[in-house]
Amino acid sequence: MAIAVFFVAAALAVLGGIGVVAFHQPIRSVLSLVVVMLSLSVIFLLLNAQFVFAVQIIVYAGAVMVLFLFVIALLGPARELGRGRLRFQGWLSALFVLVLLGLMWGLLQGVQYRQPDKGDLSFFGTVQSIGVGLFTTYLYPFELTSILLLVAAIGAIYLSRKRIDDV
Amino acid sequence: MSNQTLALLILLFPAAGAILLAGRGWRLPRIFTVIVGPGVVWASFVATLALLLAKASGDFTYWTWIKSGTFEVPFNLLIDNLSIFMCLVITGVGGLIVTYSVGYMEHEDDPSYARFFCYMDVFIFSMLLLVLAGNFVFLIVGWAMVGLSSYLLIGFWYQRHSAVVAARKAFVMNVIGDVGMILGTFVLFMTYQQATFQGVFGRLNGCPRGVGQLCLLPFTSGDTFNLELVGFLFLVGAVAKSAQLPLHTWLPDAMEGPTPVSALIHAATMVTAGVYLVGRMHPIFDVATYAHNAVAIIGAITALFAATIAIVQVDIKRVLAYSTMSQIGYMFLAVGIGAYTAGFFHLLSHAFFKALLFMAAGNVIHAMHDEQDMRKYGGLWNQMRPTAITFLVGSLSLVGVIPFVGFFSKEQILGLAFSKPDDNMVHVLWGVGFATALITGFYTGRMWWLSFWGKPSPQRPVEHPHAPRLVMMVPVAILAILATVGGFIQTTAIGIGPSTVTDFLASAVGSQRWEGGGAEIAVTFLTMILAAGLFAWALYSRPWSAYAPWAQRLLERKYYFDEIYDWAFARPTDWVAGFALRDIERPVIDAAVVDTGLLARAGAGGLSLTQSGYFRNYVLVFVGGAVVAAVILIVRANS
Amino acid sequence: MSTLNIGGSQLDASWFLLLSAILFVLGAVGVLVRRNPLVILISIELMLNAANLVLVAFSRQLVNIEGQLFALMSMTVAAAEAVVGLAILVDIFRTRDAEDIDDLSEMHG
Repeated sequence: MAIAVFFVAAALAVLGGIGVVAFHQPIRSVLSLVVVMLSLSVIFLLLNAQFVFAVQIIVYAGAVMVLFLFVIALLGPARELGRGRLRFQGWLSALFVLVLLGLMWGLLQGVQYRQPDKGDLSFFGTVQSIGVGLFTTYLYPFELTSILLLVAAIGAIYLSRKRIDDV
Repeated sequence: MSNQTLALLILLFPAAGAILLAGRGWRLPRIFTVIVGPGVVWASFVATLALLLAKASGDFTYWTWIKSGTFEVPFNLLIDNLSIFMCLVITGVGGLIVTYSVGYMEHEDDPSYARFFCYMDVFIFSMLLLVLAGNFVFLIVGWAMVGLSSYLLIGFWYQRHSAVVAARKAFVMNVIGDVGMILGTFVLFMTYQQATFQGVFGRLNGCPRGVGQLCLLPFTSGDTFNLELVGFLFLVGAVAKSAQLPLHTWLPDAMEGPTPVSALIHAATMVTAGVYLVGRMHPIFDVATYAHNAVAIIGAITALFAATIAIVQVDIKRVLAYSTMSQIGYMFLAVGIGAYTAGFFHLLSHAFFKALLFMAAGNVIHAMHDEQDMRKYGGLWNQMRPTAITFLVGSLSLVGVIPFVGFFSKEQILGLAFSKPDDNMVHVLWGVGFATALITGFYTGRMWWLSFWGKPSPQRPVEHPHAPRLVMMVPVAILAILATVGGFIQTTAIGIGPSTVTDFLASAVGSQRWEGGGAEIAVTFLTMILAAGLFAWALYSRPWSAYAPWAQRLLERKYYFDEIYDWAFARPTDWVAGFALRDIERPVIDAAVVDTGLLARAGAGGLSLTQSGYFRNYVLVFVGGAVVAAVILIVRANS
Repeated sequence: MSTLNIGGSQLDASWFLLLSAILFVLGAVGVLVRRNPLVILISIELMLNAANLVLVAFSRQLVNIEGQLFALMSMTVAAAEAVVGLAILVDIFRTRDAEDIDDLSEMHG
């Protein structure tokens, strides 16, 4: 049953990805991305990552995507028109990404995965385990990340302020 | 104070003077230059006198300059009677001339005035270094610096094109001599592994590595071949510095410099450096007989050659220049036949009367507002009596009339040449010297009568020439007195009397090894009478050029030496230089540099095409790079 | 053994990697081909999500919480980057139409 859930979520994610790339209107791209994120969060849940599942929905789908929507609202809708100036871009891109995909698939063949050190799954992925990790072993990256967010916030405010004088 | 310190002070005084005048002299009032410029030369003179009175002698080493394996060059000064003698001449006569030039150069502005005395002090320093040096390296240093000073002083009035050209000519010819000196030193070092005089002379008669082994080239006996080579190489140096044939063409042109310069450098001191060299190297020349004979032959030929050219000169300074060339030929003749002390005595007396002649001529030139053509003088005997008298003293000395000093020195040389036993070549050279003495009488007389006698020429630039200032007259007078009485310190020419110079220098150069007899004295007086007779006859002689115009032309063109040198050396060098510029420098070397720049630019131009400005291009390149990296990884993982 | 116990069933870990690869490539195509700057940013988010998926999958494979922690950090960074990118975008396109990123090509050599 869970495998079926996985495949449905995976199919939705792929469809959403195609939608991101294919839609001409940016609002539709954003919404497709939301679909992708929700699907991925379901998959996270399947993988015993409860906290990450919740954070994905709250932060990613809930905050970042909303931010994108606000920007679209600010800038107004825009449609990409016609062909671009770079004639070979499309063909070359297709070539490269197909090769990339092929390589990635090829990498997967015959891979032997390492077995886990301990197989205790009862504590794995719970909020407590995340908390333990974040506040003891990985306290330093955690604090740095908070500073990073501060910097981003200040930067965003500064960059998008209204300029009175001509710059 | 010790002799060692005194010897160093002799060198340091003019050096200090030069540095002071080069650095600050032109910003300070003129009185400063007037005191420092000549003052340091007189200070050196006093120091030299002190050494003389203390009968100093020794090889003083002050510090070791180079020490590299067996090659050791100390900074040492060799004090013996020869070096003291030369120092006395340089500082004494030099001091008089530098004092004289305080007045002669008065029309210069302050910076040029200080520059002149700075250069003069540099010259005095280098000449002193040359004669005091105790090893070959510093001898060459002094030698080259003297050449430099000559260049600076000949080209003193550098705004004049002719002066600059003359200075360059002098310097180039001196450099040829420098090369000879350096090569000679190399040969000596290779033979003896010594760079000092004491070291080389001490080892002279035995090649230390053994006969037949590497002393430059294989030879059969002793070091004679090497020493002959050294002798000829040093001869090249001496010939260049002393303006003897064939490296003589720079001396007449050097008269472009101010008259004190001509007096000091091209009469009394620098051009005598060649004579000093042969004297100092007498242990080598005593062994190298071919080179030694060459010295005498070159000297005699130059003496005659220069005297003949002097007959047709119209510029008073050029007459004196050729006269200098001729008299130095006498000195070369003397040291070339082994009569070293006679040669140095003539050096001393020539310093007296030639400096006197130049300075007196300078008085005339100064009064005539820089007019040097003798045909425009005339009648100065009445208008510039003191100068005329001094000039007469110098002229009679030059001709060799008793009792002036020139008689005693020149006739001694001729007498010794005449009476040297068992040497026919020297007797031939005596004949050459005899003829030269007669011609000397003639051209000197012509110079004297043209300038000072008769009526003033209609082309005279100045009607009533002013008398020279005291500072210009006193040195001239002093030299006139010295020229008159100086002869009496060595009167061996007439067979009786003191021989101070010979005795003094015997310890350094050895005395000549033969004595003349009565025939020698008779010949001496005969020479004097004939020469004086020609001096007098020059007043009345008709222009002889009417009989042989080709001879006149030949002499005026100085035997076409300048033209020959131009065709043989100057033009080919010019052509080679032009060829190198057009066909090597520009296409190859310049092109290499310029093309490198162009290449860089082209490369940059090509590479800048990748900066298209399109974001998506850049991302494509990223992805492409990632693909390539992945391919490489996989290939490596699988192989 | 590379199968994971997903809610009681066994599933090969390779499937997660394949899904992630497909999503990543889709995101790359979006960055390369689309000319609307907003869509480009969105595609970048897609790529980041694909990477997060791999992290979490392997965290489960090895039963190591570090993978999930890393995924959380990655999310944070992605959020910050999206914020700053959008701020720049807003600044640039305040005065002109946000249509074509090829218009922003003044910095060429």
